[in-house]
Amino acid sequence: MVDRPLNILIAGVGGQGSLLAGDVLATAAVSHGYRPVVGQTFGAPRRGGSVLTHLRFSDIDLGPLIPYGKVDVLIGLELMESLRAAISHCGLKTRAVVSPIRVHTAATLSGEEKYPEEGAVLDSLASICGEVYDLDRLSELDKALASRSLNMYLVGFAAGLAEEQLPSKKVRKAISDIVSPPEPSLESFDNGLAALKTTRSYRSEI
Amino acid sequence: MIERGTSEVLMSGNEAFARGALEAGIGFCASYPGTPSTEITTTLMSLAKIHGVYVEWSTNEKVALEACAGASWGGIAAICPMKSLGLNVASDFLLNLNLSGSGPGGLVIIVCDDPRGHSSSNEQDSRFYSKASYLPQFEPSTCQQAKDVVPVALDISREYQIPVIVRSTTRLSHSRGIVKLEKVPKRKHSAAKDIPDDLYNVPSPHLRHRMLLDKLGDIAIEFSSSPLNSTTKTAGADTLIIATGVAHRYALEAASLFDSMSLEVANLVTSNPLPGTLLKEWLRGKKSVLFVEEVDPFVEEQVLTLCAKDDLSAIQFFGKHDGTVPSHGELNTDIVVDAVARSVGLDVELLGDTTPKTIEKAKALLVPRPPTFCTGCTHRNVYWAIRKIKQRLKDKLVVAGDIGCYSLGVFYEHAMDTMQSMGSGIGTACGLGQLHRFGFESKVIAVAGDSTFYHACIPALINAKHKGADVTFIVMDNATTAMTGFQPHPGSSIQEDGMVQMSLDRIVDAIEPDFFARGNAADIPDAIDLIWDAVQKDGLKALVFDSICRLEEQRLGVAYEDQAKVTVDIDNCWGEKCKICVAQFSCPALEWNEKTDHPVILEHECIRCGACIAVCPHDALKEE
Repeated sequence: MVDRPLNILIAGVGGQGSLLAGDVLATAAVSHGYRPVVGQTFGAPRRGGSVLTHLRFSDIDLGPLIPYGKVDVLIGLELMESLRAAISHCGLKTRAVVSPIRVHTAATLSGEEKYPEEGAVLDSLASICGEVYDLDRLSELDKALASRSLNMYLVGFAAGLAEEQLPSKKVRKAISDIVSPPEPSLESFDNGLAALKTTRSYRSEI
Repeated sequence: MIERGTSEVLMSGNEAFARGALEAGIGFCASYPGTPSTEITTTLMSLAKIHGVYVEWSTNEKVALEACAGASWGGIAAICPMKSLGLNVASDFLLNLNLSGSGPGGLVIIVCDDPRGHSSSNEQDSRFYSKASYLPQFEPSTCQQAKDVVPVALDISREYQIPVIVRSTTRLSHSRGIVKLEKVPKRKHSAAKDIPDDLYNVPSPHLRHRMLLDKLGDIAIEFSSSPLNSTTKTAGADTLIIATGVAHRYALEAASLFDSMSLEVANLVTSNPLPGTLLKEWLRGKKSVLFVEEVDPFVEEQVLTLCAKDDLSAIQFFGKHDGTVPSHGELNTDIVVDAVARSVGLDVELLGDTTPKTIEKAKALLVPRPPTFCTGCTHRNVYWAIRKIKQRLKDKLVVAGDIGCYSLGVFYEHAMDTMQSMGSGIGTACGLGQLHRFGFESKVIAVAGDSTFYHACIPALINAKHKGADVTFIVMDNATTAMTGFQPHPGSSIQEDGMVQMSLDRIVDAIEPDFFARGNAADIPDAIDLIWDAVQKDGLKALVFDSICRLEEQRLGVAYEDQAKVTVDIDNCWGEKCKICVAQFSCPALEWNEKTDHPVILEHECIRCGACIAVCPHDALKEE
């Protein structure tokens, strides 16, 4: 019997690799004896729209959507999408790891709307979530971005946060098993996991 | 699929349906792609050869269902997966086939609804088709059940020789869970010697109707003892939640969040015909009942009718009829928790911890993110050309459209004005194109994609020609069904063995439009000239644009590194007072740098198609 389910929410924009990140974590969960349920959106919303992947690791088939406030770990692949997901699903028990990457919308590109300031987004996230980790734009993160494996960098960081319920070794193994080629993803995963040790949770200045 | 041990696998609801079909011994599958149903057929297609199953992407859902009926008449078990809107297309045939019968092979229709319309042009509950066609219906709630219901549905179909409907929703089809597999038996499918007699309903369709109602009565009795239906059998519970489909899992989780022994949760999988005996058993001793189901109060209304008949009116009922559960949109656990709290008056620990003020403040920061054309998508180019024509005509232009990636034209400065069903662009243009006689001053363009063209445009195009409608019909031909994941269609350049490539040009040409030309969607100035030229002419003008799906291109391994880079010539750029490239053309690979007051090309995003070069009026975007 699992004490309590582990709920992980991945927020991003279509094309950022949230489906693969979800597959990796679900594969790891299976190897750790969970009955994972993964809720995904794909199809039309993937054409540059917001994408949420709900991961629910338990010993029964839970509903495919995480209830409000029950997210344990939020993986934010994109800054504003992290906040959108936090508003709809996160609470004080949520630990959020947030990428500094911004993907503009047509309206923010044209200047019709303003993409929110990073500080304001992080303050707002911190007012909703228990802990927020904003990733520094380290060279390792840029490297992950260049090798199109930013998703695995964040998965690495999140695996560290969820270590007690899902050993990061098993997540790493899942990458070797299902990502092809695994090398750049494994490197990003390792760098993300290592970044947890040097990243302090965000404290709002206000 | 992710293996867990030998027989337990993590799979999506759609993969589970496909697996169920194989375990049941399905030999034939015909389908048209549509989110969230597509992966049922793609999964079967990938396993077709190994299991000796025939799988095809038909030109539309009506043809697919007709093909499946043909197979079933000939003794081969058939499955017909489609999305909600697909069943609308196929419904004319369905409401005849129900009376004629599906013969000895067996026929299972899987219809995938899309509550909230994540990937659909509407929100609908397709279960009313099971009522309208008097056909049995199953609603699985887990991936395991998705697999398990298919063999049961097929058995019923064979026994009663009628089609059986399985209803899924987005959150079942597209969620993954652990499924325990059975063996796929080795089968050699062999057709019957002949098809059944009397595969028509005349001269007495009403008697066929009576026969079907009799069958349905027998099936209702069978469903009352179906092991698929279940309850938590909570001892002493005085409240029953009756849930169907994926909503059952929200109900179970919601019930677990209340620290109360008064809630019993029932999963009704056989939702048509209603298993009356079983329902009465469930209702016995209950003080209140809450219905939880996606979209319409389908089971709710049937149970209320049942109770009115049998005087169970002492029970207090809650659901959509009294507003306890919303009648539109998608359900989730929170909505069910709220419904339980409000109807039964149970207390629950608040799920969220944030104050409404915090949330309001956070929401104020968000900017909506509608889907957009991909980087380099040539649909953007064609719509850019259409926007230019619209400006020239001082907005006296109506663009009627329909369903596909090109639907995103509605989000592109309203370059597309209408969007309903497959093929309805050219269909509505048949009306709009006649209105000049009543003083309508706008020119009319109808747009369609190539897969939609084959699906539903041809009758309307013939009508437009026959009636002399004044319309410019534009097909953006990227030779694939892009929106749903690149399924081939009759015009695709790559075809399976034994299938021939059709020529879209020759089909259009055979209808003899008054003007017909093929254009290049990658060449914006050329596209503007061609469309401008066409809209000036009278009658039916047809333009087919060679278009490129960049995702398909990348999937097939095209690399862009050897193309010339696009660069910004700062000396030519007019900065903020122009900004056409970023503010209007809106390619995701172009960003505005506020500090330098010039656009920036995002190298990791740009595919070097060079479309933006023609968009800049000052020659500031160039090939390196």
